Amino acid sequence: MTSSSRTAETADRAQGRGAARRRSFLRPTGYAWILPALVFSVGLLYYSVGYTGYISTLNWNGTAPDVTHVGLANYAKAFGDPVFWLTIQHTAISFVVTFTLSTLLGFVFAALLHSRPWFGGLYKVALFVPVVLAPAIMAPVFRQIFANDGQFNWLLEHIGLGALAQPWLAQSGTALAVILAITIWGGTGVSFILYSAAMGQIDPEQLEAAELDGAGNIRRLVSIIWPNVRGTTLALATLSAIGALKTFDIPYLVTVGGPNFATEFLGTLIYRTSIPLGQVGYGAALSILLLVIALVMAIVLNAGRNKRGARTDA
Amino acid sequence: MLESRRRSSRVILQIILTILVIPFVLPLVAMVQGSLAGSGWGNYLAVLSVPELPLFFRNSALIAVATIVIVYVFTMLAAFGFAKLHIRGKSFYFWLLIAALTLPEVVLLTPLFATMTSLNLYNTYWAVILPLSALQLPFTVLLARNFIDGIPDELIEAARIDGASTVLAFWHIVLPLTRPIGAAIIVFTLLGAWNDYLLPLVFLVDPSTQTITQLPQFFVGQFSNDQTKVLASAVITALPEVIAYLCLQRLFERGLSAGALK
Repeated sequence: MTSSSRTAETADRAQGRGAARRRSFLRPTGYAWILPALVFSVGLLYYSVGYTGYISTLNWNGTAPDVTHVGLANYAKAFGDPVFWLTIQHTAISFVVTFTLSTLLGFVFAALLHSRPWFGGLYKVALFVPVVLAPAIMAPVFRQIFANDGQFNWLLEHIGLGALAQPWLAQSGTALAVILAITIWGGTGVSFILYSAAMGQIDPEQLEAAELDGAGNIRRLVSIIWPNVRGTTLALATLSAIGALKTFDIPYLVTVGGPNFATEFLGTLIYRTSIPLGQVGYGAALSILLLVIALVMAIVLNAGRNKRGARTDA
Repeated sequence: MLESRRRSSRVILQIILTILVIPFVLPLVAMVQGSLAGSGWGNYLAVLSVPELPLFFRNSALIAVATIVIVYVFTMLAAFGFAKLHIRGKSFYFWLLIAALTLPEVVLLTPLFATMTSLNLYNTYWAVILPLSALQLPFTVLLARNFIDGIPDELIEAARIDGASTVLAFWHIVLPLTRPIGAAIIVFTLLGAWNDYLLPLVFLVDPSTQTITQLPQFFVGQFSNDQTKVLASAVITALPEVIAYLCLQRLFERGLSAGALK
């Protein structure tokens, strides 16, 4: 093979053809290869986004033939809508809380399971099964667990914390916390797996050297292992931010965004506005705002990542 | 990672680990326990005797298989093109695709609803398969392109000089080498399709076309809110996923954590 490639090279050069010619011979044009994915994915998605942008300037119920053009009125309505600002607030809280706790738990689990405990495989399965299960299937289970007569209150009463028992999902003050807890329950497995892979790459000599220097377990976790897996932490930040913006299944199925909008997210608000309420124009304006936030966030996170020159090593 | 030479410290680590993992297991225990309350295994018999049940599974399977085929074929072709072939304005096309990475499916509902209705696709599997595949593609192309980037150019060039066409080089050299990432993409797409809730909720209205994620709601109606049977139906729908995961642990872990493999 090498000899034939060398002959081709010399033949090329002998005929006085430049490197560009050789390059184009070896790297044929690839439009046909990317076309199906582009036409299909970019076509469908950008068409939908453009269509949404158009609908966002309408006052329309989605089916009636009469359509009123209202310009940017739907956007003005969104900025004046307290529920819209509430969803932004919930999204931010959700990102901070789920990212912090999932990351911390995933890191601790990965470190503990790397220390070769007994039955390590079982613990891994217990952490990862929640990732695999559909939120839609688990939603009725969580509604049951956190109901007033559910297992969570039962548990509190049996460990002597009966005073804390309360209708978790029916109060504005606690419903969001439950939604976040469910999200963390389903997301920690991913951060665990990623940290686990990243920790496998750490040079054991570095850890041994630290041990010889007298660094204890905590010290090694903080000063050596944590800095070594920073790329994974940054990747998880991106994932959590995307996840927070896409939140829909859990709040919609567990609390329907309530009580009193306490668990309303952009996704649930857009769905409820567009489909059951039929305010298609307003829903489209909210969609466009969601897209703008997602795009800005992607640019910011990407810039932050490139600046630090961090790479995922997972 | 952590040093536990002495037995006592190892026991302490084990205890910490066990305490931390309990909250992850309890909901599953509560699910099984709740499903056996009241009439016990009778709940399962009642759920299993609902004639529509196999239809939900069949629909989910059909949608998942079609989505996987579309995503896999389009991803591999595009990833090879982006990684190894000459395309003018390549990075522009690539970013056009990648920009859709953060697109939430909820923003597609209204335009798709109007379009699917006018194309007579509403309440057909295509109304779910098409947007689902389109949403998966930006991410899977990114993953596969990064992987194919790592394949040395010389391998493909050598094949071409030996007279193989680009198609043959792709088929005989690139595809076999991409098996690990291909498997991760398939599992990732499978779970995305199988677990999707919103698209089937909006675009499939007839119980004979609905998917398993709609089952809990279906059973709330079917058993007039009898929680024990709803939980039994949750166990029955969760079981295939758990079994599939236990059989293919590595693939699932790689596929689902692929989100950060960039």
